[in-house]
Amino acid sequence: MKSKKLSEVIIKTFKSNGFVLSEPDVLLDSDYIIERSGEKFRSSMLTFDREDGKTMCLRPDLTVASCISFLQKKTSSKIYYSGQAYRRSGGKGANFINDQLGIEILGSKNLIKDDFKVISTILNSAKKIKMKNIKIKVSDIGLFKSLINALEMPERWKLRLIRHFWRPGYFEELLKRLEKNTDIDAVTFDADKKRFYEMKKFDQNKIIAGRSVSEILKRFDKKIKDPRSFVDGKKIVKIIKAFLKINCKLSKLDDELLNFAKKNNLKINIFKNFKSIQNLKKLNQDINFVTNFGRDVEYYTGIVFEVFSGTKEIASGGRYDDLLKSLGAKKSIPAVGAAINLKNI
Amino acid sequence: MKDLITIGLPSKGRLKEKTISFFNDKGLKIIQSEKERNYFGTIENKPNIQIIFLHAKEIIQRLGDGTLDIGVSGLDLLKESDLNLQSKINIQKKLDYGNANLVIAVPDDWIDVQTIADLEEISFDIRSKRNTRLRVATKYPNLTNDFLISKGVTQYKLIPSLGATETYPFIGSSEIITDITSTGKTLEDNNLRVLKDGNILKSAACLLTSKRNKNILSNILINFD
Repeated sequence: MKSKKLSEVIIKTFKSNGFVLSEPDVLLDSDYIIERSGEKFRSSMLTFDREDGKTMCLRPDLTVASCISFLQKKTSSKIYYSGQAYRRSGGKGANFINDQLGIEILGSKNLIKDDFKVISTILNSAKKIKMKNIKIKVSDIGLFKSLINALEMPERWKLRLIRHFWRPGYFEELLKRLEKNTDIDAVTFDADKKRFYEMKKFDQNKIIAGRSVSEILKRFDKKIKDPRSFVDGKKIVKIIKAFLKINCKLSKLDDELLNFAKKNNLKINIFKNFKSIQNLKKLNQDINFVTNFGRDVEYYTGIVFEVFSGTKEIASGGRYDDLLKSLGAKKSIPAVGAAINLKNI
Repeated sequence: MKDLITIGLPSKGRLKEKTISFFNDKGLKIIQSEKERNYFGTIENKPNIQIIFLHAKEIIQRLGDGTLDIGVSGLDLLKESDLNLQSKINIQKKLDYGNANLVIAVPDDWIDVQTIADLEEISFDIRSKRNTRLRVATKYPNLTNDFLISKGVTQYKLIPSLGATETYPFIGSSEIITDITSTGKTLEDNNLRVLKDGNILKSAACLLTSKRNKNILSNILINFD
């Protein structure tokens, strides 16, 4: 089949599964995206300056653009998109234009049902275009969070590890640091402690460079009362590394996790929230569970998956419950979605 | 073949004074115009050299386009410029004056923030509590960006500044800053403190040459060895 024909067949499957076309704006406010996604995004966007000095960019990604469109109440919640996204991705001869084709459930109310819907729709599409030898790889970022929250370490370290899980290189550096004990500097500590008592007498609502005195003192207090033990650090790093080696058939996952918990003297009920993954057994597919996977996209928060035909990755996706809030929604709006990798089909 | 060599030197302050005495020490006596505000100069007994006094940033730009053959400017300004421009300029020599550090500074009273790791945590706090980004005011957006990202800080927004960056955190224009400092006095006097691991770049004055016209330079560069 020609690629245009393939896209048509896939879109037909999306529609018959209840997904409605979303046509997000091509031009977006560049400052808005940077404000929401961070400064590192700037160098990859294709931007131009309008006569009035405002910087605009071509939509860098259709998931992000669709979310913005959803927040402007231009679309319904169960959508598909088919179009081009524009961004620079390093290296010579890299393409600026990416054809993207995918589905999203924005404002997902039923986690298990919606995760299943997205994956099964993608699988149906793959079958409709006669993809052979289909395999699925899944993981769940939530399991990693459960593990970290069950380990004995300062709260700030838990949050830090969770925040940087999606950047494997930097995550390794964090693990190295966790093995050492260098959180608090003894030399300046006394001076700071003196200042701490002085500042306690300040008006606690006074703002210093955007932060209130009470906010600063609270964090200082928490930091000195929650030191980190050297022995525990080493033990924790060992457990995390062992966790990231788990790689098994979905059918064996329960046993694997139980063994892992027993072996590392953890409570056996720490991994309770992975019903969504277990529910995938209903798909009757060859499914592999891998913990060290799905770590390249910052916004994933729950289930992540890739669909293969043989060794070629033909689709990928996951749950991203925090993205819409970071794009400006007033409350958190859970979401899950997936995109077809058109280059590989 | 062009045989006139054009040298760009800083036009202001201590950097200008130190550069002139550096040239003098190397036996190149700089003669400035008698007119006080004239931008041109010469070197005694070197009729084929002309000196132009320029803004240190301008010197980098003009080396890049080949208007200048040789120049003295700060390593900080060179490293901040676009890679495309940097690729057209050679660092001939790092000089022993004009030393300064580009640093990350936070308000003194942020006593809970001592390291980049603290900063990273604060930036997430600000994001989750207020849904905004930590704002970093700077005259050095490129160097600041590269440094913060390499240290795992991602939740921030740069606020370009042209001067008096030290005031920004206290007038609501940013939360923290990065700036160049030699003694630390200006930061200190404005109630700011450098983070323990907040050193972005160790800068100094540098003797720079344009790659464009390098064949005519060997005669003069011997003087600086």
